[in-house]
Parts: sequence; structure tokens; C-alpha cells
Amino acid sequence: MLHCIFLLSDSGEVMLEKQLTGHQVDRSICVWFWDQIISQGDSLKLVPVIASPTHYLFQVVREGITFLACTQVEMPPLMAIEFLSRVADVLTDYLGSLNEDLIKDNFVIVYELLDEMIDNGFPLTTEPNILREMIAPPNIVSKVLSVVTGNVSNMSNTLPGATSSCVPWRKTDLKHASNEVYVDLVEEMDAIINRDGALVKCEIYGEVQVNSQLSGLPDLTLSFANPSILNDMRFHPCVRLRPWEANQILSFVPPDGEFKLMSYRVKKLKSTPIYVKPQLSSDSGTCRISVLVGIRNDPGKSIDSITVQFRLPPCVLSADLSANHGAVNILADKTCSWSIGRIPKDKAPSMSGTMALETGLQRLNVFPSFQVSFRIMGVALSGLQIDKLDLKNLPSRPYKGFRALTRAGEFEVRS
Amino acid sequence: MAPPAQSQKSASPSQPSGKGEVSDVKMQLRQLAGSRSPGTDDAKRELFKKVISYMTIGIDVSSVFSEMVMCSATSDIVLKKMCYLYVGNYAKYNPDLALLTINFLQRDCKDEDPMIRGLALRSLCSLRVANLVEYLVGPLGTGLKDGNSYVRMVAAIGVLKLYHISASTCMDADFPAMLKHLMLNDKDAQVVANCLTSLQEIWGLEASTSEEAARERETLLSKPVIYYFLNRIKEFSEWAQCIVLDLVAKYVPSDSNEIFDVMNLLEDRLQHANGAVVLATIKMFLQLTLSMTDVHQQVYERIKAPLLTLVSSGSPEQSYAVLSHLHLLVMRAPFIFSSDYKHFYCQYNEPFYVKKLKLEMLTAVANESNTYDIVTELCEYAANVDIPMARESIRAVGKIALQQYDVNAIVDRLLQFLEMEKEHVTAETLVLVKDLLRKYPQWSHDCIAVVGNISSKNVQEPKAKAALIWMLGEYAQDMQDAPYILESLIENWDEEHSAEVRLHLLTAIMKCFLRRPPETQKALGAALAAGLADFHQDVHDRALFYYRLLKYNVTVAERVVDPPKQAVSVFADTQSSEIKDRIFDEFNSLSVVYQKPSYMFTDKEHRGPFEFSEELGNLSIDTELADNVVPAQRVEANDKDLLLSTSEKEDNHGASNNSSAYNAPSYDGSRMVAASQAQQDLVSLDQPPPADVPASLAIDDLLGLGLPVAPSPAPSPPALKLNAKAVLDPNSFQQKWRQLPLAASQEISMNPQGVSCIVKSSGSSSAYARSFHPLHCFRWSSPELQVLFLRTKRGRAFYLSCGLYFNRLCPNLVCLRDQSWKKMIE
Repeated sequence: MLHCIFLLSDSGEVMLEKQLTGHQVDRSICVWFWDQIISQGDSLKLVPVIASPTHYLFQVVREGITFLACTQVEMPPLMAIEFLSRVADVLTDYLGSLNEDLIKDNFVIVYELLDEMIDNGFPLTTEPNILREMIAPPNIVSKVLSVVTGNVSNMSNTLPGATSSCVPWRKTDLKHASNEVYVDLVEEMDAIINRDGALVKCEIYGEVQVNSQLSGLPDLTLSFANPSILNDMRFHPCVRLRPWEANQILSFVPPDGEFKLMSYRVKKLKSTPIYVKPQLSSDSGTCRISVLVGIRNDPGKSIDSITVQFRLPPCVLSADLSANHGAVNILADKTCSWSIGRIPKDKAPSMSGTMALETGLQRLNVFPSFQVSFRIMGVALSGLQIDKLDLKNLPSRPYKGFRALTRAGEFEVRS
Repeated sequence: MAPPAQSQKSASPSQPSGKGEVSDVKMQLRQLAGSRSPGTDDAKRELFKKVISYMTIGIDVSSVFSEMVMCSATSDIVLKKMCYLYVGNYAKYNPDLALLTINFLQRDCKDEDPMIRGLALRSLCSLRVANLVEYLVGPLGTGLKDGNSYVRMVAAIGVLKLYHISASTCMDADFPAMLKHLMLNDKDAQVVANCLTSLQEIWGLEASTSEEAARERETLLSKPVIYYFLNRIKEFSEWAQCIVLDLVAKYVPSDSNEIFDVMNLLEDRLQHANGAVVLATIKMFLQLTLSMTDVHQQVYERIKAPLLTLVSSGSPEQSYAVLSHLHLLVMRAPFIFSSDYKHFYCQYNEPFYVKKLKLEMLTAVANESNTYDIVTELCEYAANVDIPMARESIRAVGKIALQQYDVNAIVDRLLQFLEMEKEHVTAETLVLVKDLLRKYPQWSHDCIAVVGNISSKNVQEPKAKAALIWMLGEYAQDMQDAPYILESLIENWDEEHSAEVRLHLLTAIMKCFLRRPPETQKALGAALAAGLADFHQDVHDRALFYYRLLKYNVTVAERVVDPPKQAVSVFADTQSSEIKDRIFDEFNSLSVVYQKPSYMFTDKEHRGPFEFSEELGNLSIDTELADNVVPAQRVEANDKDLLLSTSEKEDNHGASNNSSAYNAPSYDGSRMVAASQAQQDLVSLDQPPPADVPASLAIDDLLGLGLPVAPSPAPSPPALKLNAKAVLDPNSFQQKWRQLPLAASQEISMNPQGVSCIVKSSGSSSAYARSFHPLHCFRWSSPELQVLFLRTKRGRAFYLSCGLYFNRLCPNLVCLRDQSWKKMIE
């Protein structure tokens, strides 16, 4: 049971305070909390669950905004953390993104949302679809509409039908002019590559994202050509689990709009689409660095938005880096980022240069890790393929669309 | 009207006091209140927004309360919401004016729009003004019977709010019975869930006073009710599922078939997208199968994949919470994740708290087959840019080495660290090599060869320096230069700021002297002289002690300072298995994150969440509360040695108590009787935790000087001046207190009435029956002396320990030690 929720800006100012129970939590707790953060140096480093003299505090940081919840009683920590993450997600969804100004401009909506999401310290509903029916998001359309009609209320006047329907995530009488459903496979590749080029760990975390614009109460079945490669799945509450267990078929009545149908992991992949080969050699106070990037396993589609990032070791005083393709930037916090974009056909991109070490240091003694990001449209690198999508219970023939996308998640090359 | 102190206090000085603005708004509101012109709502909306934004940034706007209420007659729902928000925040401090709001809230409770009915009811229940409860009963009663589920849902929680304002009103109106009916019959799952939360809390709090409530609480756990919830589990929202699963985890199925039924029914919850649901399910599975060993193992297998997904897919905060639980599991069953160790490899971008837990996981899952890979990975981190991370990973390597897998390879790696020539790496590694050598003396040759090459100038951290010096002393015969290195260190005695290092230096030079007398004699003399002149009491005392010991008899000195050592086979585990079991019972709770059972950190909780004083938010009171919590942990953690000391004094009493405490290593206990067993004490002095030194050394001093041990409070030695403003933090006080020998004892008998009076004074009889606060302090005084009682609880017995404070006898001696333990059986 949570007693209170605070939203703090990145300077520690209380932007919002929502008391949830009769036990009022004084704001001074935030001052205490912020002192802790300052003493830790970096808010990201502060443990998510900490004990203050009076309360137990849960914190989740998103885009510089700290979501802080207080409790005095024993409760599942993951419940609080998960709830705060959902609050952050819902707010991002409502406000378009998340920053201090947006929250301050729309604090009434934030209050309204929190009011519906949690009562007396117990989470009620965090399903964006249901919330959206109770509280209209502050989008341009509604702004225009309110100017035109003179009705300024950003609140729908009807009670969500969903709360009483038998399918809690969907209201019964939806109507769409165009009947469309889009299924996206979005995969992230997490990999660690050692300095000798060996793959230490390579995994794919994937999501099946569905955007459904369908009328009535449609019943969908989605099947994969090769479901056996999936390691562990998690499903949206709408998925019926029996058909999955029996035949690996996803059978569900979709919520309206965008949602995450399932997430999965594929373990132990054998190769990565690109290689990044850093080489560092140092001698008498200078260090030569060269990084080579190229395609290792052609996925069949073009790989774009390739960037390589690394943090210069603290013992490096200055660096002079240049690349034969793309741009190299060194930021103030010693982060060096090399954006390559696409790999050209005629040459292999490489970056090279020298770094001057601290006086007295002969050789480099800490080695940076290189974070690589890339994006491949049209391919799911895990090899997962959608077999077919059947729709039942629909008034008219719908349009079905499929897409796939793979991008680098935590893709790390050590040197 | 008196402005509430609360919000005034919280407004930080940098923010505008807002007085001018507030009175401005007040004027405008007043003008709008009566007006019925078309644009009023828009103007009102702007003003309301302003008021609420002032409220949000912490300006006290309670002075516009009456104006706000006057303006609240509106049909605009957003205006209503803002008004409800305002009223809910300030009604508590304006109970008289709150009455004004009742009228419009009650009217809204009868609105035709269910949303408004619900919102109004929620606000009505959130006013929390005790003298308005009579107005609540009616709307709540209708709310519970409302045709719309939204209103019923709000009303169900409203009953709980009413209960906290006035329990008697709630019970008199028979709301719990209505809730129960609703819980078992309503077709909306959220209503059912809200009823359940309300009932759990109400009956839980009532159970101590009313038998009926206790019975009702039992029925919640009865088979039909549990089955009713389980059958509807899929209808509940994810959060409600957590609550239901929590309830089911308390249910005890009658036979194994039932257990399997429940588990089959809930197995798919493991694939829920919400981590909280997954963890609640896992908790239930583990609890259900505790008695069935083989099924329990299968459960471990089953929950592995979902847990690993939770770790790798969520935000860092989620990973942290899940990893804490994984750590607990892996402690109980190290094998479950031993093949999935790669999941705990750290990524560069992860926050430190996640990495640290992952390192702990890697240490815990290491076994014969994966040690090589894991240590290789850990070595990568040691070269990492992130210094704390590098340190932690070296520590992890050391921990794995102490677990005895593939030590050979690890020692090689550790020695490679020393060659990396990075100060923090060298420092960490030295400490580890020292521990390794204590466990595996057979590696000394390899290690010494490398350690000997390290220049002590490159080692600055006290811990590492102490470790290096220890090795120099311990392996003086194997290291050619040992005496000379030590000598050069002694020459720089004055530049050495850490007392710990100086203490080690003394011991090391002693050892070195005993093995290679001719080379060391000069250095020893210099060291003893420097030590005797040292301003630090402990260093001084140790030097004096060595000096006298050597003067008395060198062979005795050798027996004391440098006896043949046995390799340490097991380093003391910091957590007892009993505590681990307690934490496991509290799976999916904060205990896991803190790695302490909840009674150690939430003793307030037993009182129920709402019995705290209203000013609790005030930090000055807070610190006192915090102090209450901290000793509780300390006393519990230390009561092992407390028990040991008791056993010496009161054999007949303690024996029946807790056998596990007696099996604990007697390391701590030996310190208690240190004075009489100098030899044993000195052996342990070899690696003393720094805080222990003062007291025991003081005792040595007494012995060495041959002063009679005074039976009554000994006059303090002239060198010691009592500091008028002594400051001692509770922890070290406790430690010192325990180390003092029994100075005087006096039997004071207390009649049973007095005892029961103490018991009563520590809490109402109902709280007493339910659960003890682990720690309670109270005072009993008479003209000559004050007795402070400290009550600690352990198992079914509890102890009273008392401290005596003499009021008149010795004004400058603050306290004497007299620990007499009284055990009372419940």
C-alpha cells in the first residue's frame, strides 16, 4: 500500500504531490531524498528502494523525472516499482513525451490520471485504453475541437464501458471506418563481444506489437512458422493461454489501438550482423586507436543508423580521431560517438587516431567498451516468422499489415 | 482561520510565499461565485488551475477554502475534479468549513452520471474529518448498492477510508457484512478486489479485539472463498491479481492433489506481462511446495525462465527488485541458475546497483563447471573504467576463490591484477590475497613472490596497506626484504595516519623479530618507541603490551604473538540460516530487498499503519523513530553473543532457549571473556575488527600493569580524562558496552507485579497478544538509581536487560555495566 506519490524534477523540485491515504506524508521527505541523491552524485546510481527515517521510498527515474512513492508498511517491492513504471508509461503516452514543462502544464490531467490509477494506495487500473476512455488525452484534435465547439472539458462524459464489459480491455461497441490491423515484430539484439572477437553472449529480446483498428468484437488468431525457437514468452492479458500451450497459436480479442501482444526471448544466437573490431595499442604516453566496422552476416536488408559510442578512459587527456566514413564527435563528458549510417559498398568504414595519456602514464590501463547501435528494417534477426493471421467475427474484410524490425539493444564490444 | 502548519513548513524558501497572489485569487473567486454569465466556467477553470498549481508547488492556499466551496456549484466535470482535489487536501485543516462541502458532495453522490457519483463519493470519503462521518454512512450505503460498478468500486474502498476515520461508525453500520456479500456476489472483478482489500485490512485490524472479526478473517482463507477467487482470477486486473495471489499464498491446501490443482490453475500467471503478478505467483508456488522436496525442485526449474526474462527485459529498477529475489533463491538453491550464469553478465550501461547484484549472483552461482568462464568475465570488469565496479568484481573473484573452486586459476588471475599497476586494483587484490592465504597457506610461495615486488609506496589505502604489512610479518622468513621494508615503513611512522596500519605494523614487526631477530631488532626497538609515543590509545597500549611481554619472556611472547596457525576453513557467514529462512518466508516483500526479515526494520508496522501521530511527517520526530528501529536491528543481529555471555552467567536459564545460537562459532564469545584468557584474546587480536580494539586493549593494560581489578567501579586511570561532551554513536556504544567485564553485581528483586507492570506499559494488552515489538525501552526509577530496561524478543521468550544509572553515587561515571537477564516465558 503506497501512502504518497511525488513527482520530482531533475533539480529536485516537487512538481506534483498526491496523497493517497489518510496518513499525510510531509514534503520534507523529498528534501531528505534529494540530499541522498546529491550525496550519491548521480540519481541513476541510487538504489530504487531505500529506507528513509520514516518511510520506505521507491523511486523510478524516467527522462530526468523522478517518480517517488512512499510507504510505511511491508509490500511487494516489485508491485510499487512496476506501478511507478506504468505511471511513467501512461504519462508519456498521454503527454507525448515526458519532461518538466509538460507535466507542469498538464498537472490537472496528471492528477486526474493518478486519481483513477490508484485509490487508497492500491493500484486500480493502468491499462491505457481504459484510462483514455475516462480521461481524454490533451492532443491537438481535442484542443481544436474545444475551441470550435466551445466545450472545454477534456473529459469524456460517458463512463468507460470497458469496466463493465466481459473483456475488460475492450469496449463492446467500437466502430472504425477502416478496418485495419498491423502486426510488428520488433527485436532488440543484446550482445557482448570480447576483445578477441568471441561472442560472449548474444540474445534477442523481441516484442509483437499490434495496432488494431477493428470494429466490433473481433477474434484473432496469429500463428508463427517456427514458434519452437522462442525461449520464454510473456503475454498481454488478452491472450488465451490454452491454445498457445496446445498448438503455439496466439488467440485473442485485441484491445483497441496499439498494444504489446507478447514479448519473448531467443537465447544463444550464433552470430551478429555486423562486426566492430577495436584495436588499441599504447606506448610512451600515447595510445593509437583504430576501429573497423563491417558486415559479418548479411541479413539481406540494409543495415542503417550504425553508430559506435565509447567513453574515453579518464586517463586520456586529449584525443584526435578521424574516420574515413561518417562523423566523429567527442562530447564534453568524454563520450566519443562515431555515426556511420549505412556501410558504403566500396570501402569498410574505419576510425583511427591517437589519444594522449596523462603525464607519467606510459600505457593505457583501462580499456573502453564500445556501444554499437544499428537498425535493420524488414528482418527479425531471431528468424521468427509470422505464418498467418486469421480474423473472425468481423463485419467487413479487414486490411492486414506485417512489419519487422531489428535494432541493437545492449550491443557491447570490449577492447 | 488558522493556516495549517503542514504546508507552510514545506514551502521551500526559494519559492514565493504567494501571499499577494493568493489574496488576488481570492478576490476574483469571490466575484465569480455569484455570477451566472456564460464565460464563468472558463474563468473559474483558470482560477482553479492557478489555485491547484499553487497548492502543488507548496504554497498554502487554504485561505480561499470558503471561496472555492462557493464556486463549486458547477456542472463542469473538470472543475468538479479540481474542486474535489482541493477540498480533499485542505478539509482536514478546516473541519468547520469542510461542512460546507458536504452539501454539494452529497448532491453529487446522487447525480445521474455514474462517473460523478463515483468521484463525489471518493472525495467525500477522502475528506477525513472525524466529525463529518455521520454524513458518510448514507452515501456509502447507497454507493455499495449502486447499479454501476464504478460507484460500487469506489464505495468498497470508501468503507476502508471510513474505517480509518472512525472504526466504530463503520462497524455499527455493518459495512463489513455488506462488503462480504458484495465480494462473493458482484459480477465486476474490480469491485470484488476492492472489497477484498478493504475486508482484509478491516478484519485484520479488528481481529485482535473482536472474535467475530478474527473468525471472518479465517473464513477469507477457507477453501470455498479461495476457490471462488481462483476461479475468477483471469477476470481481475493485474494489480487485483497480485492481491488475490497474496491471499492464496496464505492458504494451506489440505492435500497434495489440491496443491497440484491450484498450481495447474495458476501456472499461466507466470507468463503474465506484469512482473508483480509473476513474482506473486512464484511466491505462492514456493510456499505451497515447501513440504514436497522434489516438487519444490521442479518449481525452481519452472520459474527459472520467467525470472530471467524479468531481469533482462524490464527497466533497471525492475531488474533490481527481481535480482534481489533471485539472489535469495540462489542462496537456497545455487544449482538452479548455474547453467544460466551468462544472464548475470553486466552490461556497460547498467546502473551500479544492478551490476552489484549481478556480481553477487555470479559469485553465488559459481561451481566447478562454470568458474573459469565467470572468473574470466569478472576479470574483464576489473579492467573497467568504472572504479567501484572494478573493486566489486575483484572482491567477487576473491569470494569465488574462497568457495574453493579451481583456486589455482584464480590465484593466477589475482596475481595478474597486481601486475596491472592500478592503485585501486592493487589495493583490493592485496586484501583478497591476504584472505586467500589465511585459507590456503599452500599458495604462499606463488603469492609471496609477486607481493614482494609491490612497493609499499604504491599502496595508500589503509586496508590494503594493513594487508600488505600482515603478509610481510606473516611470511617474513620467505621474503628476503621483509625486515627492511618494514623498517622503512617504521621510519615513516609519523606520516602514517591510519591507526589500523600502525597496529598491524607493530604486530608484523613483532612476528618478523621472532623469526629473524638479528635483522629486525633495531627496527623493533624503533617501532616500540614510536608506538609508545603514539597519541592513539590503542597503538600505545599495544606497543606497551608487546614491550612488557618481551621483557617478561620471549618464548611466551612468541606463543602469544606468533603461534602456529591453522588455516581458516570457513569464514564466518554474516547471515544465519535462520534469518535466511525468515527472509524466504517473506518472499516478494521488502525484506528481500534489504536482506533482513521484516521484524528487523518495520517494528512500527505491528501497530497498523494509522496509529502514527499526525506530526509524523515532521523530521525531528522521525529521527527518534529511526533510532528505535536501528537498535532493534543491532540487538537482534548481536544477540548471538549476548546469548553466549548469558550462558556463562546464567547457565540454568538460557539452556532451554535457542540451540542454534550455541552452535555459532565462539569467536565472538571468546572476546567476552577476554580478560581471563589473554592468550586466546591475543590470537584473535591478530586480525581484530578495529572497533573491538579499545576495550580489550584497555583490559590488557590493566592486566599488564598488575592493577587489581576493582570489584566496584574502578577509578578511571589518570591518563583518561572524561570528556564532558562525549559523543558516541549508538553502534559503537553498544559494542563497547558488551566488551566491558562484569564490574559489580547486585541483586535487586522485583516483585511479579512490577514485571507485569513493565510488560503492560510496553503496549496495550491486545498488541501484546498479537506480536511484540522486538525492542522496547522503558524506565523505572527510584531516588538512588534509575533502571533502564531494554526488552528484546527472541522466539517465544523475551529478555529484559537492565542498565543502572546511579543518580548520586558517582556523578562523573555515567554508567556501570550490570547486565542481568531475566527470562520470562510467555
